[in-house]
Amino acid sequence: MNPAIAAADLRALGAAGRMSFRTLRRYPANFIGQIFWPVLLPAVWVLMGRAYSGGGDPQALDAFASRAGTSGVTVFVFVGYAMYMWLSTLLWGPGTALRQEQMRGSLEAVFLTPVSRLVPLFGPTLTNIVWVLFQLVVMGLAVWLLFGVVLPVQGILLTLLVTFAGLPAMYAMGSLFGAAVLRFGEVGPAVQFVRGALSLLCGITFPIVMLPAWAQATSNAMPPTWIVAAIRDVLLRGATPLDLLPTAGVLVALSVVFGGFAIVLFRILEASARRSGMLGRY
Amino acid sequence: MALSPAVEVVGLTKVFEKGRRTIWQRLRREPDKREKFVAVDGIDLRVERGEIFGVLGPNGAGKTTTLRMLATLLEPTSGEVRVLGVDVKANPREVRANLGAMLSGERSLYWKLTARENLEYFAALYHVPPKGQKARIDAALAAVKLGDRADDYVERYSTGMRQRLALARALLPDPPLVILDEPTVGLDPQAARDLRDRVRELKRQGRTVLLTTHYMEEADQLCDRIAIIDHGQIVALDTPAALKRRIRAEEVVTLEIGMPSGADSAILARLANTAVIARSERHNGTLAVTAHCASARDFVPAAFDAARSEGATIQHVEVVPVSLEDVFISLTGRALRE
Repeated sequence: MNPAIAAADLRALGAAGRMSFRTLRRYPANFIGQIFWPVLLPAVWVLMGRAYSGGGDPQALDAFASRAGTSGVTVFVFVGYAMYMWLSTLLWGPGTALRQEQMRGSLEAVFLTPVSRLVPLFGPTLTNIVWVLFQLVVMGLAVWLLFGVVLPVQGILLTLLVTFAGLPAMYAMGSLFGAAVLRFGEVGPAVQFVRGALSLLCGITFPIVMLPAWAQATSNAMPPTWIVAAIRDVLLRGATPLDLLPTAGVLVALSVVFGGFAIVLFRILEASARRSGMLGRY
Repeated sequence: MALSPAVEVVGLTKVFEKGRRTIWQRLRREPDKREKFVAVDGIDLRVERGEIFGVLGPNGAGKTTTLRMLATLLEPTSGEVRVLGVDVKANPREVRANLGAMLSGERSLYWKLTARENLEYFAALYHVPPKGQKARIDAALAAVKLGDRADDYVERYSTGMRQRLALARALLPDPPLVILDEPTVGLDPQAARDLRDRVRELKRQGRTVLLTTHYMEEADQLCDRIAIIDHGQIVALDTPAALKRRIRAEEVVTLEIGMPSGADSAILARLANTAVIARSERHNGTLAVTAHCASARDFVPAAFDAARSEGATIQHVEVVPVSLEDVFISLTGRALRE
């Protein structure tokens, strides 16, 4: 690829992120919702877990630890939910970005420019990273202020590292839905289904050893399973960067597989949309 | 070496299938039995550099589909399209880099951003180098006379201002070819006039403009050449003056004749002695006749004589110069807005 064009596409990617963030800033009420949900949803599960364990009965916690590898129920659940919200944001992200352009009527204008198709797919979703970081901060504060759990500084830094390392794989999954939007328009029900399936398969609120063996094999092919496990290892078991290397290798491999599949699918569906005239419809 | 034409189209065809094929039908490889709709039917077209070329036709004639294929948004079913000498199928990205297009007007903008923010975003998408970006944006805003409102949110703009901003966006890549789909539709007369002035300015700058419209006055005033399109086919292509000469008349006379039905053919035959009857329609007790003639001064008295002798009354007479609408009626047998 021509380096000058690649550099111009990269600048355009940044511009798409800026455009999206500028638009977001003009709806400040959205930020309020992002404070409540990351706290409320996991807190319900933590309180229910406490109730089931008789308010922290050591025998119950030992039983949990034998399956989850930790007795830190609060952090276990919060990390799972952080993953769930991140998953929701990124699965919706590229598809939503294209869908919004389609419904607004600006998708054709964007597709009339010489920019790479990856820019409208991923550029506007750069804002999602802001959301993800914001949610992580809110959740960290909730764990500390509501449940009295202080997270280790090194663990927090490594969590951020894992979060960023997992972005390519997560974006690759999200772009599958982006590709589908081009051809089919509304793909909300499909995203809902996949999000539900992944929340079950990837150990959001429970350890995946609780799943049947065949389901565990599927879980291991999903990037979120590895990311959530790595973050729990860091925050609950004090894993070091060296311990995370195998997980990093798996995530790179899954990113390549999902990314490659997404690129091929995107090209096929974009060509189909150009044949059927779907780009201009909504 | 001579420059290639701005647009060269040979045998361009677009066929849409009506309805959807289910996944089950695809998996079973059942034959595609969907009804076909030919939107563009073997068009040949050549637009020279520096001209304003209009594609005129009623809604659904295939104008927009043609433009969308030129702009790489829609894949032709068959035929060849070269834009500025570049094959749109082989090098769509190169075509887009040299093309300014305004296809979906005001809806294609980000209303929650200012005009300048909109153009900053699209300048990046058009790969305008950062160094010259500000100057390019200022020039585009000045070209559409929006410089003083550049930092207002687009949601506060009028429809005409949004159309002009969409035009400014099309100018960002400094394109030699600008394509405009119904640029003045929905605008008030002043805003439409203003936008037409901007289009003329584009020609003065040496750009080629290809536009679609179903306003014949607009096509007449703006275009160097016009292709009249109907049912996906070009039915005539020439300068506005040459197109109007085709109907061999100077004036168009519309008559409303009050008379009982049954005597229509007799009076029409008498009128046809002094003019070409382009159209006749009966509404209740009135026969509406559109006639093309060399001189209304000669035809109208003859029409009154004919009506009197058939026991009819002429209730209304209107005389106008020949327009492209009349050309369209003579070619297709129906009016542009039908």
